[in-house]
Amino acid sequence: MAEKNVSIFDIFGPIMIGPSSSHTAGIARIAYLARKIFPYPVDRARVSFYGSLAWTYRGHGSDKAAVAGLLGIMPEDERLNHSFEIAAESGFTYEIVPVYELPERYHVNTVIIELENAERRIVLRGASIGGGSILIQEINGFEVDLSGELSALLVSHHDEVGVIAIVSHILAANRINIAGTSSHRKEKGDEALLVVEVDSPVGKSIVQQIESLPPIYSVVYIPGLSN
Amino acid sequence: MKTRFHTVQDLASVLESENLPLGGYLVAREAFIQGKTADEVNAELDRRIQITRAALDRGLSAPQLSFSGLTRGNAVRLAAPEKAIVTDPFYTRAIAYALAVAEVNACGGRVISFPTAGSCGIVPGTLWAFRDTRPSGEEIDDARFREAFLVASCVGILIAERATLAGAEGGCQAECGAAGAMAAAGLASLCGCAFGAIFDAAALSLKNSLGLACDPVAGLVEVPCVKRNAFLAANALTAVSLELAGVTSVIPFDEVVTALKAIGDSLPANLRENAQGGLAVTPTGLSYREKIRDPRPEAPAGV
Repeated sequence: MAEKNVSIFDIFGPIMIGPSSSHTAGIARIAYLARKIFPYPVDRARVSFYGSLAWTYRGHGSDKAAVAGLLGIMPEDERLNHSFEIAAESGFTYEIVPVYELPERYHVNTVIIELENAERRIVLRGASIGGGSILIQEINGFEVDLSGELSALLVSHHDEVGVIAIVSHILAANRINIAGTSSHRKEKGDEALLVVEVDSPVGKSIVQQIESLPPIYSVVYIPGLSN
Repeated sequence: MKTRFHTVQDLASVLESENLPLGGYLVAREAFIQGKTADEVNAELDRRIQITRAALDRGLSAPQLSFSGLTRGNAVRLAAPEKAIVTDPFYTRAIAYALAVAEVNACGGRVISFPTAGSCGIVPGTLWAFRDTRPSGEEIDDARFREAFLVASCVGILIAERATLAGAEGGCQAECGAAGAMAAAGLASLCGCAFGAIFDAAALSLKNSLGLACDPVAGLVEVPCVKRNAFLAANALTAVSLELAGVTSVIPFDEVVTALKAIGDSLPANLRENAQGGLAVTPTGLSYREKIRDPRPEAPAGV
């Protein structure tokens, strides 16, 4: 994660729907990000609450917050309280599952979000780490470390020489400053995931330019959440 | 522009080198970090200040009742009590306002985490109560009011940089305790205190919150969090009363923050928000945990 000045609005913020910055606002943020990372129609959604969340999600409205985020409702939007009704009206179906056993490597406030349609599927693990701040820690088996504060590119590619160099070259040519990168793979020569956090917005044409390169399978651009 | 400061001393030397007063520096710094203009930063501050007002009006206009049954519209009761011991309007409003915002949060209303959701009533409650009770001729304009929120936030930055603002890490001293210190600084700023006195008032308030456990019943942001907002508002008022009378803190603010960090690190895990200690495991606390345990038999499994 890129080192960041503490802003006045980190202290006097975020604007949120209560009651808990970690169990409500943070969960809404993770779900909102999940939907940005999976910008496709969703036929099936499952939200699993681990640890502290499994025990207290209803009292904290974590379930409403998660559904709101999946519907693209921001943590500060009062529609969050009505997300179940909005989901019902729009035919969005979901499942909420409390998991009381917390795996050792999971953060104490962990949520796993699974989204799928006929062609695609994503499994994402997020942690709500306090004050509304969050970390996406796993995407489809890749261990990542994404705060969502900064805008980011998720570049899924074949694990081969030079991918990071090409991507950073394209961003540099478009005067986009890279705040941080991290590279993740399961096995050498297999599919890999490059996460690039950036300081300014990345336009569609740049995303397409990167996506058109042979070793690259897909690129997802996630606008930063910081408010 | 220099944007990093970890101590009051750092901050004083940054102000000197940037040649700006505290409020002016904080706006300029924010504009620099966010890549915005000072006007945009001020507009965002005003927007957030108005959100705190809407929350407190909501908490006072109708009883707030939470899902768990732990929050039962006490702010309405406190705003118009049948009996009172301290009748000064500033005091009575400060505790009622702080409670009102905290209740709105507990009931799923729109608030601003300040510095956390559980402590979100303390700064707005005290600052709005002060503004609302000024006699005519001593009104506080928007610019001065905004500056008080900036100064309060600055105290939060100092605690975040060298300790923590998370109850799960430092106990409630890091949430309501921090908010009390922030409120004291904001009030001191509204009272016209100089730079040193602002942070001294924060030190006085923070010292009196050191060691506060985070032991919420059933893990919810309600008991003791909601009422603690009213108590910490009173704490901030006392700190500024001492400061204005010339009673200063023996231990400077930066050293109090060091102590807060050390105490937080030595707090047992069950007093740091995991709901396994203190009030959470009293017989009454445990009975509430059983009552709201998830999922309850009637819980729907989605639509």
